[in-house]
Amino acid sequence: MKSARYKLLLLLPAVAVFVLFLVFPILIVLNESFHTFEPGRIGSVEGGPLTLANYAELFQPVYGQYFAQTYVLAICSSAVSIVFAFPIAYCIARAEFAWMQKASISAIVGLMFLSSLVRVYALELTFGSTGVLAPLMSIMDINTNSRLYINFVILAGLLQYCIPMSILILIGAIKNLNPRLTEAALSLGAPALAAHLTVTIPLSIRGIVSAFLVSMTLGVSAFVIPLILGRGRILFISNLIYSRFSEIANYPSGAAISIVMMVLALLLILVMSRLATSLERA
Amino acid sequence: MLSTKERLNAEVTVRTKALVSAKPILSKRRVDSLLTVAVTAIIAVTALFLLFPVVVTVLMAFDARDYIGPFPPTELSTRWFGKLLEDTYIWAGFKTSLLLAAATTAAAAAIGALAALAISWMSPRWRDFVTTMFLSPLVLPGVIIGFGLLMFFAAFNQVPVFLKLFAGHLIITLPFTIRMTLVGLAGISQTLREAALSLGANERQVFFTITLPLAKNGIAAGAIFAFATSMDDVAVSLFMSDFQTYTLPLALTTLIKSSFDLTIAAAAVALMGLTIVLLIVLDRVLGLERAMGHGTNRIR
Amino acid sequence: MNVLELKDVTKKYGSFTAVENVSLELEPGKVLSLLGPSGCGKTTTLRIIAGFAVPDGGTVQIAGEDVGQLKPYERNVGLLFQDYALFPHMTVAQNVAYGMRYRGAPAAAIPSRIKQMLSLVQLGGMEARYPNQLSGGQQQRVALARALATDPKVVLLDEPLSALDAKLRLELRIELKEILRSVGATTIVVTHDQEEALSLGDEVVIMHAGGIVQRGAPTQIYQSPANKFVAEFVGRSNWFQVIRSGQSVAGFTSYITSDGVEIRAKSPPSGYNGGSDLCVRPEHIELIDSAAPEALRGAEHNSMTGVVLDVASLGPDVHVVVELPGKARVLAIRKNAGRIQGLAPGQCVRAVFSAADVLVF
Repeated sequence: MKSARYKLLLLLPAVAVFVLFLVFPILIVLNESFHTFEPGRIGSVEGGPLTLANYAELFQPVYGQYFAQTYVLAICSSAVSIVFAFPIAYCIARAEFAWMQKASISAIVGLMFLSSLVRVYALELTFGSTGVLAPLMSIMDINTNSRLYINFVILAGLLQYCIPMSILILIGAIKNLNPRLTEAALSLGAPALAAHLTVTIPLSIRGIVSAFLVSMTLGVSAFVIPLILGRGRILFISNLIYSRFSEIANYPSGAAISIVMMVLALLLILVMSRLATSLERA
Repeated sequence: MLSTKERLNAEVTVRTKALVSAKPILSKRRVDSLLTVAVTAIIAVTALFLLFPVVVTVLMAFDARDYIGPFPPTELSTRWFGKLLEDTYIWAGFKTSLLLAAATTAAAAAIGALAALAISWMSPRWRDFVTTMFLSPLVLPGVIIGFGLLMFFAAFNQVPVFLKLFAGHLIITLPFTIRMTLVGLAGISQTLREAALSLGANERQVFFTITLPLAKNGIAAGAIFAFATSMDDVAVSLFMSDFQTYTLPLALTTLIKSSFDLTIAAAAVALMGLTIVLLIVLDRVLGLERAMGHGTNRIR
Repeated sequence: MNVLELKDVTKKYGSFTAVENVSLELEPGKVLSLLGPSGCGKTTTLRIIAGFAVPDGGTVQIAGEDVGQLKPYERNVGLLFQDYALFPHMTVAQNVAYGMRYRGAPAAAIPSRIKQMLSLVQLGGMEARYPNQLSGGQQQRVALARALATDPKVVLLDEPLSALDAKLRLELRIELKEILRSVGATTIVVTHDQEEALSLGDEVVIMHAGGIVQRGAPTQIYQSPANKFVAEFVGRSNWFQVIRSGQSVAGFTSYITSDGVEIRAKSPPSGYNGGSDLCVRPEHIELIDSAAPEALRGAEHNSMTGVVLDVASLGPDVHVVVELPGKARVLAIRKNAGRIQGLAPGQCVRAVFSAADVLVF
């Protein structure tokens, strides 16, 4: 059909942008990751022998640490987000008055839209070593320069994103749930906690998994938060890739880390969506 | 069908068996009230955690002191906003960011709207596949996109920095404009188009008189998401910029890491104002709830 | 002793009064229908009895115990939701067992009880199915089994048949009645559907604007409505507005309506100050040949000629619209027995109805 082909032409600009600025670059990264790094040289030697050394290198404990650091904090922030976001989302979704719902949602969306730099700076100003809470920390005998404390501040940074995001996702999930189901459980003798554990939570499992997944994706690819709040002492994988580029210009190694990171991110999505489906069936 | 006799049997057992024991109910109620207390505490702690840093920043931006002193400020002034207006480093970044965000938003809205239209005409199977492909930049870490683009542009000689930034921002904003336009298009029922066709309009007239006016809000919402994303990006921009052409977030990143000047707090408050303006516009064109239902749920 | 007793129950939402001074009592084993248009307060009453709303004033007693401040899970009330609210992630058996589990039934007794309940609602063998594998009627029966499984003191049915299609509705209505009677459940049916209310209830309570307007047996409600609202809400009726009343003869009075028609009806009680509305049920209007002798003319009968405007045959009934002098239109419902099949629009007929059948408000 002539008109069908004509209509597909509309897709052309978008396809061009994707191929040029996404597919090509990723293929280049993939190619680069199999080349040898020569210190002092920016980029690898064209036509040089292919190698797996850049990947093998990642199995050293030093690198494992970065991955562990990133994933542990991302998992922590996602889990904490769900625990805090679910009851809040439930209260908002079942708010008695429409204006209350609208006001809460507007406030949360406002937090989401707030520039990430503003949020990170606000946290630094509040929790940093010279921040407004520093005197309080010293009274409580908390060392604001310890690794553990910095970890907590980064976690706080991730939570600033993940909690509002999770609340919004869960509001959607809970609103899709028939409120009569929880009432049915109550009228059948289940106290509120039991009613939520046996009915509300199992039936919003897809939303919960989705919120967890989004939080994880944000967490593992976080860049600005650890860059600033980590004070150079704690790096995420994203920061490691950047430092490969900016500090020692080891492109092949940065490329290999990128590929691994990307594969892990896609695996995560695959596993979580499988999990959501199987949990829903059970 | 049960016979009457069977049913009578059932009746007898139902009546004779009182299953409900009159157990003390206090414990159930106590758990219930504990839950209420816990939920109230969670809401309070979360609200404090989310809002306290913002409040601190706003108050500190109006601090009259020269140094970052104990909170709250003892005296208020607008001196940091005065310094912000004179700060050429931040202003240069802001100008670049604004120009870049405007260019990116226009291009992403146009390209995204066209693509979304084409997608909406596809069969459901293709539609899902193509949509997933186009939304994939949302789940890719920005650093990888930036790093890849850096090496891609290294293959060409002397690409202007602004153009590189534009390319990077285009790829991270396009998913938003495509998705939001699709949301807008999904709200148009097929019967409206059929009604227009039956009233004598041809396909092209239906598009310009029915489809486009109704999809307008979705496109506008996508543009707002694109603008906000472009104004906020660090990970991709970092690989594309140089010391001459840099964006506002990059300038702020450098400043936050290197200085303790409260000019940044003033800049942060200015950005909050911009955020509020964007939100009001978004609420007008699409409604916050509807926009966020699709804007946040980045991964399905 | 009454199983359920509401005394002067009032509930307000902000400035809106949902229920005002509602008093109800219900004897064991009886079925009571709460009937009213949407917004009349019947759903709020149901939610107060179930414990989902706390009344602002008045008392609620179940089996002699004041439950006004008890949580839903602290009172043994069985609730059948309009959309059934079956737990979609649980099997039929798990749904039925849910209430027993939380109401402290001994674990050993549960399986046999599930079996009993399912055979009661004729769903034996469906234990392992999920709600989405059942038809609408089957889902409703599972919901009923779930509500009855804990042997509740009071059973509340919220628009129990409204989610079903018309044909299934009749079938399940009879079955529902049978099951409720067989377990001797003390039941309140809340509905806006008069057919549902009149057919299920031993007694019917009509609610309007947050209060109870009339309580009585279904026939009583239909035949002697307490006021204009009940007459209008239950069943069909033809209305005439009275502009003045004429002379009274032998207990009957002539009224002149706004259409200029003269209608005879029972004399109003003394102290009546020149009436307002007359109501005639369509099945009380007989249509005869206009040429027929006026045999029925008398103080106790009304008879007037008119022109047939429309004839609609609706299966067992035929609805005939007749225009009387003065443009007044009346609906007459006749059984489709073949006698009036000759009626056609434009034809002249005589509409006859007894003065005793005219309701005066």
